[in-house]
Amino acid sequence: MRNARGLVCAALVVLSATLIGQAPQIPPAPTGQAPAIDLSGYWAPVLHEDFMERGPGSEIADYGGFPINEAGRLWALSYDPSRVTLRHHQCEAYVTPYQMRALGNFRMWEERDAHTQRLLAIHLWAQTTEGHRVIWMDGRPHPPAWAPHTFRGFSTGQFKGNALIVQTTHMKSGALRRGNGVPQSDQATLTEFFVRHGDHLTNVTVVSDPVFLSEPMVRSNDYYRQPVDPGAWLYACDDGEQILDRPDDAVPHYPFGKQPYVREFGARYKIPVAAGLLGAVTMYPELSSRLRTANETETNALLSPAGGRPSETSKVVGGDARDGNVHILPVRDNVYMLVGDGGNIVVQTGDQGAFVVDAGEGKLSDKVLAAIRTLTNNPIQFIANTSFRSEHTGGNGVLGAAGQDPSLPGSFFVQAAPRGVTGFFSDPSSHATMMAHVNVQVRLQAAGAPAAAVPADTYLEDRRRKFHNGDAIEFFYQPNAVTDGDSLIHFRRADVIAAGDIFTTTQYPVIDVKNGGSIQGEIRALNEILKKTVYRHQGEGGTYIVPGHGYLADEHEVLEYRDMVVIVRDRVKAMVDAGATLQQVKAARVTADYDTQYGVNTGPWTTEMFVEAAYNSLKNGR
Amino acid sequence: MKYSHVRAYCLATMVVAVVTQAFVPRVEAQRGGPGGPPAPITPRASAPIDLTGQWVSLVTEDWRYRQFTPPKGDYGSLPLLPAARKIADSWDPARDEAAGEQCKAYGAAGLLRLPTRVRISWQDDAALKLETDAGTQTRLFRFGPTRADAGGTTPAGERTPGGDWQGASSATWDYPQAAFAGRGGGPAPGGSLKVVTVRMRPGYLRRNGVPYGAEAVLTEYFDRLDVPGGDSLLVVTAEVVDAEYLATPYWTSQQFKRETDTSRWQPTPCAAR
Repeated sequence: MRNARGLVCAALVVLSATLIGQAPQIPPAPTGQAPAIDLSGYWAPVLHEDFMERGPGSEIADYGGFPINEAGRLWALSYDPSRVTLRHHQCEAYVTPYQMRALGNFRMWEERDAHTQRLLAIHLWAQTTEGHRVIWMDGRPHPPAWAPHTFRGFSTGQFKGNALIVQTTHMKSGALRRGNGVPQSDQATLTEFFVRHGDHLTNVTVVSDPVFLSEPMVRSNDYYRQPVDPGAWLYACDDGEQILDRPDDAVPHYPFGKQPYVREFGARYKIPVAAGLLGAVTMYPELSSRLRTANETETNALLSPAGGRPSETSKVVGGDARDGNVHILPVRDNVYMLVGDGGNIVVQTGDQGAFVVDAGEGKLSDKVLAAIRTLTNNPIQFIANTSFRSEHTGGNGVLGAAGQDPSLPGSFFVQAAPRGVTGFFSDPSSHATMMAHVNVQVRLQAAGAPAAAVPADTYLEDRRRKFHNGDAIEFFYQPNAVTDGDSLIHFRRADVIAAGDIFTTTQYPVIDVKNGGSIQGEIRALNEILKKTVYRHQGEGGTYIVPGHGYLADEHEVLEYRDMVVIVRDRVKAMVDAGATLQQVKAARVTADYDTQYGVNTGPWTTEMFVEAAYNSLKNGR
Repeated sequence: MKYSHVRAYCLATMVVAVVTQAFVPRVEAQRGGPGGPPAPITPRASAPIDLTGQWVSLVTEDWRYRQFTPPKGDYGSLPLLPAARKIADSWDPARDEAAGEQCKAYGAAGLLRLPTRVRISWQDDAALKLETDAGTQTRLFRFGPTRADAGGTTPAGERTPGGDWQGASSATWDYPQAAFAGRGGGPAPGGSLKVVTVRMRPGYLRRNGVPYGAEAVLTEYFDRLDVPGGDSLLVVTAEVVDAEYLATPYWTSQQFKRETDTSRWQPTPCAAR
């Protein structure tokens, strides 16, 4: 019996050895699927580096070791930490590169398909700001350029060698360095490496930011494994008034060259002031020799935009979809954003006809109609225009002609209306009803637009309201913003606001002074948006804002845009008040910290045109 | 023998077989393949990553402490014991210069924190050489056990005359966790260079006199990380354990970028200030 058992045992050993020997025949797991390292568990940060930044906060003008370009340096010098007292800034989360350096533990876990056990995602939850990251491991593509951004961004990962490599896009703008204004733009991308050595985890972050960095920023973060759940995973935050009676167009910032604390850091540690301001060279061994040539004149020059040269231009790639196609982005519930034909288009669907906000430029109207037909079988019933600008009304004619408003045929008003007055009521069964503020009608008629492309259903004062497709839709007139006929259009249940060109993510506001636009009105309109938004969590999500151009946003992007317009307004106003000429204002490069994001020097709306509009607007007290 | 004992015996035997089989590919490789002549695999030949070349520091963390000599007593972030603070508070660079100890900040535990260029090359098939232009220092990472006479102090901890700032280092290739199931056994691709350094001549963790002692142990992992479409990075994760001066292990990680243009290599002598 013992021999028999021994034989069985030996057979099993041989079998197991054979099977193992044949193991290479088992199909290898697809790349990025089988974890080469296990990152699951609780991790605590090691704070043996940059304790000042990660604890009390960075010091003003301590920008050394950051490869910031001129725009990044000026952005940081203009930054006043009091900005976080503004309501909408108070609960903002960290962007991922800083989140990984923040105080507090995090935990990681795997998400696997219940049936195949394939690895779908790796999750990371950080204590600070309740930072929940999802690193998709299933090979899905990154979203298109017009998709929303979040503080954590959209991450995909794969295992390579002994590292998990993670690529992150679609991050919001935020602080690359905490507390002293070193910025990260919404165009930044992040590559990370997670490498584990026993109970020690190293995370290397490589940030590429064409807007604010001249070369990638590389940092590494260390953690040690926690054997038990450290708890305290929540990070409650609610905003409120911190400074009463402050006007809502006040944004704390410092004028160029007027940062009052810029020399404190150097004086405290006996470091040349220029050392923290020189950008990429501060990372390298060459810094010491570079500082030998830095004198007071150069230092002072670093505090303001370099003169005698044209404005920088936007480094953003693919901000607007211009591939000749119309793309659909579901926003929320029955609301969609269409991009590709000039200005963005909003489509609301339901059991009634489609409600469309803005009609695009009109160059791709057939594709716009085809896209809408994929969303609803009902015709377009209403078209609302946020302004008269051609990038939003150019498609009125084609889209209007393809629609119909079944609420009109047989109605008293159509029967009694004098035919031919506007051309609109002549055949309501074959045309959508077009709505806008009355000044849109006036401006389009003055421009000679065909009657069928001119909104006939207009409103005159603050608000227009309509219940359609199960949602309350409100129009809010914004006097003298980019034009004198702008509307914000709010889908209340879906909580989506179509902002038209009052807000874009791609360019300086097109303030059309000749047609009633003004910089003060633009700021008022942006603040009106912010009065209507509610974030879902840590300063993001919640109310969606469809910009006139660019990607689907929430209040964070509107807030940053509002801050930018206010700051530029303040700089121009200070010069206007001091008697500066337009040429002097232009030469001062008052937009220098924003030009790598929004600036253009050619085309229909240049940086100079924006500055000129601000100047003329303020000269006229508007 | 009870049946349960047989089961346990079989199970144990199978485990041994599995573990043994897991290393079959490596053993075969060392033989030069099935049927081939014996061909010992050297550390150089079995390197899972290529660390050779010139690398330059990216001083993006603790920037003020690393690009400049901080004021005396400025030892933020460091987990120091009172004994270390006492020494740091009495730091006198002139005294170090007078004693010919300008290189105290260039010892192994502090060297790669300095702004420097690094050249890594194979000295022979079993030893990697790391040179820095800052302070003109050389470290030798020999694979295998540490030789008793290596380093600047004896195994008993007594400093040898003209002791070595770089101590005695032993190197191993550190492979990621092997995942047996579903991956065909054997190690996953990639790996790190693990270097353990002991018997260092006492030096500074930070230029302003923050000390480490003769008994300090430095454990480092050298990882090469290639950014898709971008630079090649060398990241050195370091742990210093020093019961004499540190309350906890001191962990840092420093990053370097690969340079193809080697013209900026500029050896300089140690400086105490």
